[in-house]
Amino acid sequence: MSSNTSSGGQGGPPPAVDKTIIITRFDPDQDEAPRKQEYTVPCEDNWKVLDAVNFIKDEIDPTVSHRWSCRMAVCGSCGMMVNGEPKLTCKTSLKEYGDRVDIEPLANFPVVRDLVVELDGFMHKFESVKPWIKRAKEKAEDKAALHETKLTYTQSAEELADFKQFSMCINCMLCYAACPVVANEPEFLGPAAIALGHRYNLDTRDEGTEERLEIFRGEGTVFSCSYANECSEVCPKNVDPAAAVNQAKFGAVIDWAKGLVLPRAPHAAD
Amino acid sequence: MAGPAHPEAMAPPTPGRTRTAPPQMPSTWWSAPRIRTYLLFDATGVIYFLVGFLAIKIVGQLADGPIAWQAQMKALENPLYIAFHVLALASVIFVAVRFFRLFPKAQPPSIGPAKPPPGPVIHAGLYVVWLGLTALISLALAGVIL
Repeated sequence: MSSNTSSGGQGGPPPAVDKTIIITRFDPDQDEAPRKQEYTVPCEDNWKVLDAVNFIKDEIDPTVSHRWSCRMAVCGSCGMMVNGEPKLTCKTSLKEYGDRVDIEPLANFPVVRDLVVELDGFMHKFESVKPWIKRAKEKAEDKAALHETKLTYTQSAEELADFKQFSMCINCMLCYAACPVVANEPEFLGPAAIALGHRYNLDTRDEGTEERLEIFRGEGTVFSCSYANECSEVCPKNVDPAAAVNQAKFGAVIDWAKGLVLPRAPHAAD
Repeated sequence: MAGPAHPEAMAPPTPGRTRTAPPQMPSTWWSAPRIRTYLLFDATGVIYFLVGFLAIKIVGQLADGPIAWQAQMKALENPLYIAFHVLALASVIFVAVRFFRLFPKAQPPSIGPAKPPPGPVIHAGLYVVWLGLTALISLALAGVIL
Protein backbone atom coordinates (compact mmCIF):
# COMPACT_ATOMS: atom_id res chain seq x y z
CA MET A 1 0.00 0.00 0.00
CA SER A 2 1.45 3.33 -0.95
CA SER A 3 0.89 6.33 1.22
CA ASN A 4 1.35 10.03 1.16
CA THR A 5 2.42 10.12 4.80
CA SER A 6 3.78 13.46 5.95
CA SER A 7 7.13 13.65 7.66
CA GLY A 8 5.81 15.64 10.60
CA GLY A 9 9.01 17.52 11.32
CA GLN A 10 9.21 20.44 13.74
CA GLY A 11 6.83 23.17 12.56
CA GLY A 12 5.48 20.91 9.82
CA PRO A 13 2.12 19.21 9.71
CA PRO A 14 1.47 16.48 12.29
CA PRO A 15 2.37 12.97 11.14
CA ALA A 16 -0.27 10.81 9.53
CA VAL A 17 -2.05 8.44 11.88
CA ASP A 18 -3.18 4.97 10.87
CA LYS A 19 -6.92 4.47 11.26
CA THR A 20 -9.05 1.45 10.46
CA ILE A 21 -11.73 2.48 8.01
CA ILE A 22 -14.56 -0.02 7.80
CA ILE A 23 -16.52 0.25 4.57
CA THR A 24 -19.79 -1.45 3.80
CA ARG A 25 -19.40 -3.34 0.54
CA PHE A 26 -22.15 -4.67 -1.70
CA ASP A 27 -21.74 -6.00 -5.20
CA PRO A 28 -25.20 -6.77 -6.62
CA ASP A 29 -23.70 -9.39 -8.94
CA GLN A 30 -21.88 -11.32 -6.20
CA ASP A 31 -23.09 -10.47 -2.70
CA GLU A 32 -26.26 -11.79 -1.13
CA ALA A 33 -26.21 -8.93 1.35
CA PRO A 34 -23.92 -6.01 2.25
CA ARG A 35 -20.75 -6.95 4.15
CA LYS A 36 -17.98 -5.04 5.93
CA GLN A 37 -14.42 -4.63 4.73
CA GLU A 38 -11.61 -3.07 6.76
CA TYR A 39 -8.82 -0.89 5.39
CA THR A 40 -5.85 0.60 7.22
CA VAL A 41 -5.41 4.16 6.05
CA PRO A 42 -2.66 6.64 7.00
CA CYS A 43 -4.84 9.66 7.73
CA GLU A 44 -3.49 13.19 7.55
CA ASP A 45 -4.39 15.52 10.38
CA ASN A 46 -6.52 17.79 8.21
CA TRP A 47 -8.38 15.05 6.35
CA LYS A 48 -12.09 14.88 6.02
CA VAL A 49 -13.84 11.50 6.01
CA LEU A 50 -14.19 11.75 2.24
CA ASP A 51 -10.40 12.02 1.91
CA ALA A 52 -10.03 8.63 3.58
CA VAL A 53 -12.60 7.02 1.28
CA ASN A 54 -10.95 8.61 -1.76
CA PHE A 55 -7.55 7.34 -0.54
CA ILE A 56 -8.94 3.81 -0.33
CA LYS A 57 -10.42 4.13 -3.82
CA ASP A 58 -7.24 5.63 -5.34
CA GLU A 59 -4.52 3.73 -3.50
CA ILE A 60 -5.86 0.52 -1.99
CA ASP A 61 -9.02 -0.82 -3.60
CA PRO A 62 -10.31 0.75 -6.83
CA THR A 63 -13.47 -1.37 -6.67
CA VAL A 64 -14.92 0.72 -3.82
CA SER A 65 -17.87 2.75 -5.12
CA HIS A 66 -19.03 6.02 -3.63
CA ARG A 67 -20.45 9.34 -4.78
CA TRP A 68 -18.73 12.66 -4.39
CA SER A 69 -18.13 15.80 -6.41
CA CYS A 70 -17.54 19.32 -5.10
CA ARG A 71 -15.67 18.66 -1.81
CA MET A 72 -17.10 21.88 -0.36
CA ALA A 73 -20.54 20.93 0.99
CA VAL A 74 -22.43 22.32 -1.97
CA CYS A 75 -23.29 19.41 -4.26
CA GLY A 76 -24.78 17.12 -1.60
CA SER A 77 -23.34 13.97 -3.21
CA CYS A 78 -21.14 12.53 -0.47
CA GLY A 79 -23.64 11.80 2.27
CA MET A 80 -22.84 8.58 4.16
CA MET A 81 -23.35 7.09 7.59
CA VAL A 82 -20.22 7.73 9.66
CA ASN A 83 -20.18 5.75 12.89
CA GLY A 84 -23.93 5.44 12.63
CA GLU A 85 -24.76 9.09 11.97
CA PRO A 86 -25.61 10.66 8.58
CA LYS A 87 -22.80 13.01 7.62
CA LEU A 88 -21.68 15.00 4.63
CA THR A 89 -18.26 13.35 4.41
CA CYS A 90 -16.53 16.28 2.72
CA LYS A 91 -17.46 18.45 5.71
CA THR A 92 -16.75 15.96 8.48
CA SER A 93 -13.28 15.93 9.96
CA LEU A 94 -11.70 12.54 10.61
CA LYS A 95 -10.21 13.98 13.80
CA GLU A 96 -13.68 13.79 15.37
CA TYR A 97 -13.41 10.00 15.38
CA GLY A 98 -11.21 7.41 17.03
CA ASP A 99 -9.05 4.70 15.52
CA ARG A 100 -11.96 2.87 13.89
CA VAL A 101 -14.36 4.65 11.61
CA ASP A 102 -17.38 2.81 10.26
CA ILE A 103 -18.63 4.16 6.94
CA GLU A 104 -21.94 2.86 5.61
CA PRO A 105 -24.38 3.86 2.87
CA LEU A 106 -27.10 6.28 3.93
CA ALA A 107 -29.71 4.53 6.07
CA ASN A 108 -33.28 4.17 4.79
CA PHE A 109 -32.24 3.99 1.12
CA PRO A 110 -31.85 0.86 -1.01
CA VAL A 111 -28.17 0.22 -1.76
CA VAL A 112 -27.09 0.09 -5.40
CA ARG A 113 -23.44 -0.74 -4.69
CA ASP A 114 -21.11 -0.23 -1.70
CA LEU A 115 -21.79 3.33 -0.50
CA VAL A 116 -24.02 4.30 -3.41
CA VAL A 117 -27.75 4.44 -2.70
CA GLU A 118 -30.81 4.40 -4.94
CA LEU A 119 -32.20 7.91 -5.54
CA ASP A 120 -35.31 7.23 -7.63
CA GLY A 121 -37.79 7.22 -4.75
CA PHE A 122 -36.30 10.38 -3.28
CA MET A 123 -36.40 12.23 -6.60
CA HIS A 124 -39.98 11.10 -7.15
CA LYS A 125 -41.00 12.52 -3.78
CA PHE A 126 -39.22 15.77 -4.57
CA GLU A 127 -41.02 16.14 -7.88
CA SER A 128 -44.39 15.37 -6.30
CA VAL A 129 -44.45 18.60 -4.24
CA LYS A 130 -44.15 20.64 -7.48
CA PRO A 131 -41.00 22.51 -6.46
CA TRP A 132 -41.28 25.36 -8.89
CA ILE A 133 -43.12 28.67 -8.97
CA LYS A 134 -46.65 28.05 -10.16
CA ARG A 135 -48.59 30.97 -11.62
CA ALA A 136 -52.17 31.06 -12.78
CA LYS A 137 -52.51 32.02 -16.43
CA GLU A 138 -50.89 35.41 -17.01
CA LYS A 139 -53.45 38.08 -16.42
CA ALA A 140 -53.42 41.68 -17.60
CA GLU A 141 -53.41 42.95 -14.04
CA ASP A 142 -50.34 40.80 -13.31
CA LYS A 143 -48.31 43.14 -15.45
CA ALA A 144 -48.78 45.81 -12.83
CA ALA A 145 -46.84 43.62 -10.42
CA LEU A 146 -43.93 43.20 -12.82
CA HIS A 147 -40.76 45.19 -12.43
CA GLU A 148 -40.85 47.89 -15.14
CA THR A 149 -37.55 47.14 -16.81
CA LYS A 150 -36.64 43.61 -15.71
CA LEU A 151 -40.09 42.12 -16.29
CA THR A 152 -39.78 40.00 -13.16
CA TYR A 153 -41.96 39.81 -10.08
CA THR A 154 -40.51 41.87 -7.28
CA GLN A 155 -40.12 40.60 -3.75
CA SER A 156 -39.07 42.45 -0.62
CA ALA A 157 -36.12 41.36 1.50
CA GLU A 158 -38.56 40.63 4.31
CA GLU A 159 -40.63 38.35 2.07
CA LEU A 160 -37.48 36.57 0.95
CA ALA A 161 -36.38 36.09 4.55
CA ASP A 162 -39.56 34.11 5.27
CA PHE A 163 -38.40 31.19 3.09
CA LYS A 164 -34.72 31.71 2.28
CA GLN A 165 -33.60 29.25 4.94
CA PHE A 166 -35.69 26.49 3.35
CA SER A 167 -34.23 27.16 -0.10
CA MET A 168 -30.68 26.33 1.05
CA CYS A 169 -31.25 22.57 0.80
CA ILE A 170 -28.58 20.76 -1.25
CA ASN A 171 -30.56 17.48 -1.56
CA CYS A 172 -27.93 15.53 0.35
CA MET A 173 -30.62 13.20 1.81
CA LEU A 174 -29.07 13.13 5.29
CA CYS A 175 -32.45 14.11 6.72
CA TYR A 176 -34.06 11.01 5.19
CA ALA A 177 -31.32 8.81 6.62
CA ALA A 178 -31.87 10.32 10.09
CA CYS A 179 -35.66 10.37 10.11
CA PRO A 180 -37.25 7.66 12.30
CA VAL A 181 -40.54 8.08 10.42
CA VAL A 182 -38.89 7.34 7.05
CA ALA A 183 -37.33 4.26 8.69
CA ASN A 184 -40.78 2.98 9.68
CA GLU A 185 -42.81 4.34 6.75
CA PRO A 186 -40.65 4.37 3.58
CA GLU A 187 -43.54 6.00 1.71
CA PHE A 188 -43.39 9.09 3.98
CA LEU A 189 -42.86 12.15 1.79
CA GLY A 190 -39.96 13.12 4.03
CA PRO A 191 -38.27 16.23 5.41
CA ALA A 192 -36.46 17.67 2.38
CA ALA A 193 -39.40 17.32 -0.03
CA ILE A 194 -41.85 18.87 2.43
CA ALA A 195 -39.38 21.67 3.24
CA LEU A 196 -39.02 22.42 -0.45
CA GLY A 197 -42.78 22.44 -1.02
CA HIS A 198 -43.19 24.70 2.00
CA ARG A 199 -40.48 27.00 0.63
CA TYR A 200 -42.61 27.59 -2.49
CA ASN A 201 -45.76 27.99 -0.41
CA LEU A 202 -44.04 30.85 1.42
CA ASP A 203 -42.84 32.46 -1.81
CA THR A 204 -44.98 35.52 -2.57
CA ARG A 205 -44.56 34.96 -6.33
CA ASP A 206 -46.13 31.52 -6.18
CA GLU A 207 -49.80 30.63 -6.63
CA GLY A 208 -49.59 26.89 -6.10
CA THR A 209 -50.04 26.85 -2.33
CA GLU A 210 -53.51 25.30 -2.30
CA GLU A 211 -52.39 22.51 -4.58
CA ARG A 212 -49.38 21.70 -2.42
CA LEU A 213 -51.43 21.91 0.77
CA GLU A 214 -53.79 19.37 -0.77
CA ILE A 215 -50.77 17.09 -1.13
CA PHE A 216 -49.68 17.88 2.44
CA ARG A 217 -53.11 16.95 3.78
CA GLY A 218 -52.79 13.48 2.24
CA GLU A 219 -51.61 10.33 3.98
CA GLY A 220 -47.88 9.87 4.53
CA THR A 221 -47.07 13.57 4.44
CA VAL A 222 -46.82 16.29 7.08
CA PHE A 223 -49.06 14.64 9.66
CA SER A 224 -46.93 11.49 9.67
CA CYS A 225 -44.09 13.55 11.15
CA SER A 226 -43.67 12.96 14.88
CA TYR A 227 -41.33 15.95 15.23
CA ALA A 228 -38.31 13.91 16.26
CA ASN A 229 -36.27 16.85 14.94
CA GLU A 230 -33.51 14.48 13.78
CA CYS A 231 -33.65 15.93 10.26
CA SER A 232 -32.72 19.37 11.57
CA GLU A 233 -30.02 17.96 13.84
CA VAL A 234 -28.16 16.35 10.93
CA CYS A 235 -28.77 18.98 8.24
CA PRO A 236 -25.36 20.27 7.11
CA LYS A 237 -26.82 23.53 5.78
CA ASN A 238 -29.03 24.48 8.78
CA VAL A 239 -32.15 24.33 6.63
CA ASP A 240 -34.18 23.14 9.64
CA PRO A 241 -36.59 20.89 7.74
CA ALA A 242 -38.40 19.99 10.97
CA ALA A 243 -39.48 23.62 11.27
CA ALA A 244 -40.72 23.56 7.66
CA VAL A 245 -42.66 20.33 8.14
CA ASN A 246 -44.36 21.59 11.27
CA GLN A 247 -45.11 25.00 9.77
CA ALA A 248 -46.60 23.12 6.83
CA LYS A 249 -48.82 21.19 9.27
CA PHE A 250 -50.15 24.50 10.53
CA GLY A 251 -50.72 25.72 6.97
CA ALA A 252 -52.50 22.50 6.00
CA VAL A 253 -54.87 22.75 8.98
CA ILE A 254 -55.68 26.42 8.31
CA ASP A 255 -56.26 25.67 4.63
CA TRP A 256 -58.50 22.71 5.52
CA ALA A 257 -60.55 24.93 7.87
CA LYS A 258 -60.81 27.67 5.22
CA GLY A 259 -62.01 25.05 2.74
CA LEU A 260 -64.99 24.32 4.98
CA VAL A 261 -66.37 27.83 4.62
CA LEU A 262 -64.84 29.22 1.41
CA PRO A 263 -64.98 27.78 -2.13
CA ARG A 264 -61.59 26.58 -3.37
CA ALA A 265 -59.99 28.41 -6.29
CA PRO A 266 -58.94 26.39 -9.36
CA HIS A 267 -55.31 25.22 -9.28
CA ALA A 268 -52.64 27.23 -11.06
CA ALA A 269 -51.37 25.67 -14.26
CA ASP A 270 -48.11 23.65 -14.14
CA MET B 1 -58.12 11.26 5.62
CA ALA B 2 -59.01 8.55 3.13
CA GLY B 3 -55.70 8.23 1.33
CA PRO B 4 -52.85 10.08 -0.32
CA ALA B 5 -53.98 13.15 -2.23
CA HIS B 6 -51.42 12.28 -4.88
CA PRO B 7 -50.68 8.55 -4.80
CA GLU B 8 -47.92 8.91 -7.37
CA ALA B 9 -45.95 10.83 -4.75
CA MET B 10 -45.62 7.64 -2.75
CA ALA B 11 -44.70 5.31 -5.62
CA PRO B 12 -41.80 3.00 -4.80
CA PRO B 13 -38.50 3.50 -6.62
CA THR B 14 -38.49 2.40 -10.24
CA PRO B 15 -36.74 -0.99 -10.50
CA GLY B 16 -33.28 -0.48 -11.98
CA ARG B 17 -31.19 -2.78 -14.13
CA THR B 18 -29.35 -4.16 -11.13
CA ARG B 19 -30.84 -5.48 -7.94
CA THR B 20 -30.41 -3.36 -4.84
CA ALA B 21 -29.83 -4.31 -1.22
CA PRO B 22 -32.67 -3.33 1.08
CA PRO B 23 -32.20 -0.13 3.11
CA GLN B 24 -29.60 -0.61 5.82
CA MET B 25 -29.86 0.67 9.37
CA PRO B 26 -26.65 1.18 11.34
CA SER B 27 -26.32 -1.70 13.78
CA THR B 28 -25.92 0.76 16.64
CA TRP B 29 -28.72 3.13 15.62
CA TRP B 30 -30.23 3.00 19.13
CA SER B 31 -27.01 4.02 20.85
CA ALA B 32 -26.86 7.64 19.65
CA PRO B 33 -27.77 9.93 22.58
CA ARG B 34 -30.32 11.92 20.55
CA ILE B 35 -32.06 8.75 19.40
CA ARG B 36 -32.16 7.48 22.99
CA THR B 37 -33.80 10.73 24.07
CA TYR B 38 -36.34 10.40 21.28
CA LEU B 39 -37.05 6.77 22.21
CA LEU B 40 -37.55 7.90 25.80
CA PHE B 41 -39.96 10.57 24.56
CA ASP B 42 -41.90 7.96 22.58
CA ALA B 43 -41.89 5.56 25.55
CA THR B 44 -43.68 8.12 27.72
CA GLY B 45 -46.78 7.23 25.69
CA VAL B 46 -46.95 3.97 27.70
CA ILE B 47 -47.01 5.96 30.96
CA TYR B 48 -49.85 8.18 29.70
CA PHE B 49 -51.79 5.10 28.64
CA LEU B 50 -51.41 3.67 32.15
CA VAL B 51 -52.38 7.01 33.74
CA GLY B 52 -55.51 7.09 31.56
CA PHE B 53 -56.30 3.49 32.47
CA LEU B 54 -55.89 4.29 36.18
CA ALA B 55 -58.08 7.39 35.89
CA ILE B 56 -60.88 5.34 34.29
CA LYS B 57 -60.52 2.73 37.06
CA ILE B 58 -60.76 5.41 39.78
CA VAL B 59 -63.87 6.93 38.18
CA GLY B 60 -65.35 3.42 38.15
CA GLN B 61 -64.61 3.06 41.87
CA LEU B 62 -66.33 6.38 42.47
CA ALA B 63 -69.42 5.05 40.73
CA ASP B 64 -69.31 1.93 42.94
CA GLY B 65 -69.93 3.93 46.10
CA PRO B 66 -68.06 5.38 49.10
CA ILE B 67 -66.56 2.10 50.34
CA ALA B 68 -65.00 1.32 46.96
CA TRP B 69 -63.78 4.91 46.71
CA GLN B 70 -62.13 4.83 50.14
CA ALA B 71 -60.47 1.52 49.28
CA GLN B 72 -59.10 3.04 46.09
CA MET B 73 -57.82 6.10 47.96
CA LYS B 74 -56.10 3.80 50.45
CA ALA B 75 -54.56 1.80 47.60
CA LEU B 76 -53.10 4.97 46.10
CA GLU B 77 -50.98 5.39 49.26
CA ASN B 78 -49.07 2.25 48.27
CA PRO B 79 -45.41 3.16 47.51
CA LEU B 80 -45.72 1.53 44.08
CA TYR B 81 -48.55 3.89 43.15
CA ILE B 82 -46.58 6.85 44.50
CA ALA B 83 -43.50 5.81 42.51
CA PHE B 84 -45.68 5.46 39.41
CA HIS B 85 -47.06 8.96 39.84
CA VAL B 86 -43.59 10.41 40.38
CA LEU B 87 -42.58 8.70 37.13
CA ALA B 88 -45.67 10.10 35.40
CA LEU B 89 -44.85 13.61 36.65
CA ALA B 90 -41.26 13.29 35.41
CA SER B 91 -42.61 12.14 32.02
CA VAL B 92 -44.94 15.13 31.76
CA ILE B 93 -42.13 17.55 32.61
CA PHE B 94 -39.79 15.87 30.12
CA VAL B 95 -42.34 16.01 27.29
CA ALA B 96 -43.40 19.57 28.14
CA VAL B 97 -39.81 20.85 28.14
CA ARG B 98 -39.15 19.14 24.80
CA PHE B 99 -42.39 20.50 23.34
CA PHE B 100 -41.65 24.04 24.56
CA ARG B 101 -38.19 23.88 22.98
CA LEU B 102 -39.52 22.80 19.58
CA PHE B 103 -42.79 24.77 19.52
CA PRO B 104 -41.47 28.27 18.58
CA LYS B 105 -39.91 27.25 15.28
CA ALA B 106 -43.10 25.45 14.21
CA GLN B 107 -44.91 28.79 14.07
CA PRO B 108 -45.58 30.14 10.57
CA PRO B 109 -43.47 33.17 9.64
CA SER B 110 -46.65 35.22 9.39
CA ILE B 111 -50.41 34.88 9.70
CA GLY B 112 -51.75 37.45 7.28
CA PRO B 113 -49.99 40.71 8.11
CA ALA B 114 -49.18 39.61 11.68
CA LYS B 115 -45.76 38.23 12.59
CA PRO B 116 -45.42 35.88 15.56
CA PRO B 117 -43.28 37.09 18.47
CA PRO B 118 -39.60 36.06 18.49
CA GLY B 119 -38.89 32.43 19.42
CA PRO B 120 -37.43 33.17 22.89
CA VAL B 121 -40.56 35.18 23.78
CA ILE B 122 -42.84 32.29 22.74
CA HIS B 123 -40.58 29.87 24.64
CA ALA B 124 -40.69 31.96 27.81
CA GLY B 125 -44.45 32.53 27.40
CA LEU B 126 -45.09 28.79 27.38
CA TYR B 127 -43.28 28.42 30.70
CA VAL B 128 -45.20 31.35 32.20
CA VAL B 129 -48.54 29.83 31.14
CA TRP B 130 -47.46 26.39 32.41
CA LEU B 131 -46.35 27.66 35.80
CA GLY B 132 -49.40 29.93 36.09
CA LEU B 133 -51.83 27.09 35.38
CA THR B 134 -49.97 24.79 37.77
CA ALA B 135 -50.22 27.44 40.50
CA LEU B 136 -53.94 27.96 39.83
CA ILE B 137 -54.71 24.24 39.93
CA SER B 138 -52.61 23.81 43.10
CA LEU B 139 -54.48 26.66 44.80
CA ALA B 140 -57.81 25.20 43.70
CA LEU B 141 -56.91 21.74 45.01
CA ALA B 142 -55.74 23.26 48.31
CA GLY B 143 -59.09 25.00 48.65
CA VAL B 144 -57.56 28.49 48.63
CA ILE B 145 -59.60 29.48 45.58
CA LEU B 146 -62.88 28.16 44.19
